[in-house]
Amino acid sequence: MPPPRMYRAEALVLKNMPLGEADLLVTLFSREAGKLRAIAKGARRSNAKLVGHLEPLTLTRLSLSRGHTLDVISQAETLENFTPLKSSLTAIARGMQVSELVDGFGSEASANEPLYDLAWSTLESIGKTPEYELPLFHFQLHLLGVSGLMPELSNCVECRRDIEPDRHRYSIDGGGVFCPDCTPDRAGLRPLSLRALKVMRLLARSDARALPTLNLDAALTQELRAVLSGTVQYWLDREIRTNSFMNQLARTERVGRN
Amino acid sequence: MTLEHLPSAAPSLARLVQELNKLPGIGPKSAQRLAYFIIRLPDEEAFDLANAINAVKQSIMFCGQCQNLTDLSPCSVCSNSQRNREQICVVEEPLDVLALERTHCYRGLYHVLHGVLSPLNGIGPEQLKLRELFARLSDGEAKELVIATNPTLEGEATAMYISRNLVGTDVKVTHLARGLPVGGSLEYTDELTLSRAFQGRQALE
Repeated sequence: MPPPRMYRAEALVLKNMPLGEADLLVTLFSREAGKLRAIAKGARRSNAKLVGHLEPLTLTRLSLSRGHTLDVISQAETLENFTPLKSSLTAIARGMQVSELVDGFGSEASANEPLYDLAWSTLESIGKTPEYELPLFHFQLHLLGVSGLMPELSNCVECRRDIEPDRHRYSIDGGGVFCPDCTPDRAGLRPLSLRALKVMRLLARSDARALPTLNLDAALTQELRAVLSGTVQYWLDREIRTNSFMNQLARTERVGRN
Repeated sequence: MTLEHLPSAAPSLARLVQELNKLPGIGPKSAQRLAYFIIRLPDEEAFDLANAINAVKQSIMFCGQCQNLTDLSPCSVCSNSQRNREQICVVEEPLDVLALERTHCYRGLYHVLHGVLSPLNGIGPEQLKLRELFARLSDGEAKELVIATNPTLEGEATAMYISRNLVGTDVKVTHLARGLPVGGSLEYTDELTLSRAFQGRQALE
């Protein structure tokens, strides 16, 4: 039996782009069917009823009808707008990174409910602490986890022995930490401070909605950023665009006053 | 098969199709139709079209002040002494200037950013005409900056960036009201728009 022509979905809006004169092409990540691309007809007109529900980083309940190539959105209702997140430029940039990575790691027409829940809880968490980078670090680590790519953080990837504190190294493409006795000449092994390893282990055990309060200094933040973004980017197999945006933001802030 | 792949198509015709195909929203079939339409045009009209494209490419430049597209710098708005030089309205694109000018209710100057901050597309502050805006504000003539970016996530992010960079200066930063469109309906309006409309409510006089 063919699937019904009309269906409903609960989805996070990842991005949208203009299509034709007044339509929007919307990329969604739905609880029921993973990544979807659908058209919202006439949504760019000023009196359109749909557009407010289809802004990026909005959780919506949709009614869609199946089309030949793309499905068409007929109704949309906002479930969660993540208003606190949208009140801070830094938080918006981090939220957009969540969107970019869900788009990159999510598969079309293949549900991934853990990823959906992770994205939702991360956006809530970013909104609660807009200046705090830990929710994004947590998201990056668990994104690898729900994609079956969680780096090994407790045992040596090679010999499986427990890692002795401070006698470890990390490999992005090797899948985690190595003890000093294993493959000492392996290319790509990099130092990873004990502090960073402990934070990563703690994040791996934590829930996005109940993150521990950690005071990360600039050096530790920079190290976690490099290791986690580096690992995610390795598996994504392309540059994380929002990272270059965030770097540029940090570089150009206060340009008006200087 | 498209025209440019047909061995029988004249090279000049195939080239025209190829060029038209580069325009946004124009696929191979539409490009063929347009090419045949141009062929059937009277010579005068076809050359007028070609000359118009030529002229616009040769004479259009950015206004040295507002960064709008113009054939004379400063543009007609910036050089108009009747305009209020204490107000600058920041817009995303040149077409937004036309839309605001049609209202006949704004008499200040403009500044065109030529885009918005777009993290997903890697468009950051350096890709927009923001440096020119801040340089313009540093002379102290402008007292109010009206941010008229679109009420989208990217438009709001751009507004926040500008506003954050002007904290501590004497420039008053405002943005256009958010709320219900004329002819709209409360029932179908999303929560964020409604809450913004509530926040921006005004006393009836």
